[in-house]
Amino acid sequence: MEKLLNPDTGLMIWTVLTFAVLVFVLGRFAWKPLLESLAAREDRIRADVKAAEEARLAAEKMRNDYQDQLAAVEGKTRELIARAQAEADRLREDMVKTAQGESVKLMEKTRRQMEEEQRRLVRELRTEVADLSVAAAEKLLRQAVDKSVKEKFVRQALSDFDKMSKDIH
Amino acid sequence: MNFTEILEHHLLDHAYFRLPAVAGVSLPVSKHVVMLWIAGALAVLFFVPVGLAARAGRRNTVVGMVEAVAVFVRDEIVLPNLGEDGRRYLPYFLSLFFFILFCNLLGMVPFGATATGNIAVTAALALTTFAMINLAGMRAQGVGPYVKNLVPHGLPVWLLPLMFPIEILGLVTKSFALCIRLFANMIAGHIVILAFMALIFLFGSVLVAPVSVAAAVGMDLLEIFVAFLQAYIFTLLSAIFIGAAVHPQH
Repeated sequence: MEKLLNPDTGLMIWTVLTFAVLVFVLGRFAWKPLLESLAAREDRIRADVKAAEEARLAAEKMRNDYQDQLAAVEGKTRELIARAQAEADRLREDMVKTAQGESVKLMEKTRRQMEEEQRRLVRELRTEVADLSVAAAEKLLRQAVDKSVKEKFVRQALSDFDKMSKDIH
Repeated sequence: MNFTEILEHHLLDHAYFRLPAVAGVSLPVSKHVVMLWIAGALAVLFFVPVGLAARAGRRNTVVGMVEAVAVFVRDEIVLPNLGEDGRRYLPYFLSLFFFILFCNLLGMVPFGATATGNIAVTAALALTTFAMINLAGMRAQGVGPYVKNLVPHGLPVWLLPLMFPIEILGLVTKSFALCIRLFANMIAGHIVILAFMALIFLFGSVLVAPVSVAAAVGMDLLEIFVAFLQAYIFTLLSAIFIGAAVHPQH
């Protein structure tokens, strides 16, 4: 059994030779092409993953940009609406104010016209009454009352008339 | 019945003939040499078509399986220990792993023999690892720095004459351990199986046979596992040792 632990030099040389040939042949015809195809595939997969990641980032950025734009548009719209609302409010207020002023002015004018009309009527009435009084006095005079009576009557009538016109005003 | 004789018959190499001796060394053509050649031929016949298929871009189940093992050897054994520089040595490690594995498994085949159960074979493989350790170390660092880095930095000068032989001895011991580990692991299972079988004849009873056969089958299953395990361990330790030579600790 001592042969079990006694290495045969010739067998060692065979082993090294066989192994060396195997390393050469396999290295050249098996491992090199296998590892190369493996590395190529891994590179491709890594590149694909990287490209996908980049595409994802780009899409995310685009989405964020769109969101920002949308938000900006929304803000702008809100501002425009608010401004239009304010404009409308101001316009309405102006119109109401203008209308009120107009109506006040109209009322004032109407009142003035009515006053004017009244004064004119009074004046006309006074002229009419004076004419009537003169006509009545003439009629009385013509009835040939004595001169003094006539005179007294006319004076009386005039003073009455004066008093009457003062009462009207 | 002589148990020793049976063991020797099953475990030892048998030279069919020896080539004429040159300088005191004659090359035998023996059972284990033939097994080495068969293992090598099987590896070539199996892996070269795989490599050619991979180069042609044809991927099938076999290519996928080999790729899986190659990726395992690359990512779990070689690159962690040798770094990116390890890609250069990858064909060596892959060949080493599959050569040992095929030799181990050939011992499980009827009429086969376990070449890796011969200490000459494991010694030769350990020597190649020893050579690779030193060659890779010198290649990576240069001869001078490699020799200088064999001993740890910062030692007192007077310790160097002591430490240098110790470190050299350490290198040799590592390789020696590789040799003995593979040899002993591959031969132990065979001895146990033979012992189980011998029990039948020792007891001289047929009734022992079922027990012995069951135990031997169990050992066989274990040996299949050990065949893979030892191929892995030899490759892993080689990678660790070579990695240590390529990247000296500072």
